[in-house]
Amino acid sequence: MRMVSLRDVNFGYGDVPCLEQANVDIFFGEFVTISGQNGAAKTTMLKLMLGLLKPWSGTVELARRNAGGGKLAIGYVPQQIAAFNGAFPSTVTEFVRSGRHARGSWLRRLDQEDRRMTEDAIRQVGMWEFRHRKIGELSGGQKQKVCIARALAQEPDLLVLDEPTTGMDQESRLGFYRLLQAQVKDYGRTVVMVTHNLTEMAEYLDRCITLERKEDGGWKCCTTTSCSGHFAPVG
Amino acid sequence: MLHYDFMQRAFCAGGIIALIASALGVYLMLRRQALMADMLSHVSLAGVAAGIYLHIDPTLTGFIAAVAGAVAVEYVRRAYKTYSEMSVAIIMVGGLSTAVILMSLARATNKSFTSYLFGSVVAVNRTELLLMGAVALVGGAFFYFMRRPLYQMTFDEETAKTNGLPVKWISLGFSVITGMIVAASIPIVGVLLVSSLIVLPAALAIRIAPSFAAALVISMGIGLAGVFSGLAASYQLSTPPGGTIAFVLLVLLIAGIGIRKATYKIRKLL
Repeated sequence: MRMVSLRDVNFGYGDVPCLEQANVDIFFGEFVTISGQNGAAKTTMLKLMLGLLKPWSGTVELARRNAGGGKLAIGYVPQQIAAFNGAFPSTVTEFVRSGRHARGSWLRRLDQEDRRMTEDAIRQVGMWEFRHRKIGELSGGQKQKVCIARALAQEPDLLVLDEPTTGMDQESRLGFYRLLQAQVKDYGRTVVMVTHNLTEMAEYLDRCITLERKEDGGWKCCTTTSCSGHFAPVG
Repeated sequence: MLHYDFMQRAFCAGGIIALIASALGVYLMLRRQALMADMLSHVSLAGVAAGIYLHIDPTLTGFIAAVAGAVAVEYVRRAYKTYSEMSVAIIMVGGLSTAVILMSLARATNKSFTSYLFGSVVAVNRTELLLMGAVALVGGAFFYFMRRPLYQMTFDEETAKTNGLPVKWISLGFSVITGMIVAASIPIVGVLLVSSLIVLPAALAIRIAPSFAAALVISMGIGLAGVFSGLAASYQLSTPPGGTIAFVLLVLLIAGIGIRKATYKIRKLL
């Protein structure tokens, strides 16, 4: 069953195209990465998938329902959240808990289960001892972990992460890849992640999408590659 | 002083506006729209000038102009996505230039402009008090029911969109509520200092609050303390309430930051 489908998608900024004739399918329960050089339109592709950008032409279809027929829950971790400045007066727990509000009604009162899920998410990313700290006081890598915890607290059907390991040390990164793999294998979630660390991640992935510049000009093409052993683009 | 009817009204109006304006300030500061209050107050001044010129109730025309300005700023903000602060400059220039032209045309009524510019404790009539009450009710309901979406949008609008929130409409609603609160605050603090009532309590609360919920409560407390002590000082010293309230809030901000720094240093020494 398709989670996201891009058909002949063209997109650019101003008059300059940056993604042409992109055709991509991502299926339920897959762990997929998007990679490519700087400026290869990786974030753009993510935003097109999520409906945050409208394509110039072509179609983007994102599943509305999860496998159980309920409303699809999306956990999105952007590359950087501008509001995370030193003065932001919100604690780690407060922020992660806001992920629970995104499930169901925004007015519902959070219960014991919500509290447990919030605490689990904070523990999973290794931020338990920082749970009462203001997020503005955390380091870049720690802020990133808190964003991931918020997305996990949502119990998302689709988890979309844009270079989430920026600022993380190697040990944290490897632990994080295992955590994402568990989301796919244990909970049947779909994970789409932009990364530059393909080699490091190889053993955890189902598939990778490579965005690359074509030899004849300034636009990029999109190739989907099986991740069984190598990452050389095909097609 | 509270045995005077006008002072009772001023304290009532000041209390209502202090609570709602300082809560609004926290969201405005965190959404990096602190200048929006200033901009809308200048747009509101154009409405006041138009009301005086056309012999319509200036409070009503000021109110309508502020709300219209709030809607306009949302559209201009979207047109200048990368430089969103440009929308503030564009609309502020539009509001102020219109106000100056209309003020010069309505020369005979310069005296009443002073109370709109600097605020006046005697300027708050029963109609304005009712208007402030209604604005506080609508604004309070908006902030209560929208507190979680607003919190989410304050962090990141794109994440909020992926969570299924109608960001465009909530943002528009927030701007309209901001315009309403700014317009309702003008009789007490005046056009030129209305942003002080919105920004200064929030500026201190954000520095000292341990959490987001605490920031809202602390900001409202500071706003209330600033307005009540400012009004009392204004009565005793016969000074304009707008300037006095703004000055008291500024003193509270400087004292609060000073105490916080001193506490931090003492803790470090211990």
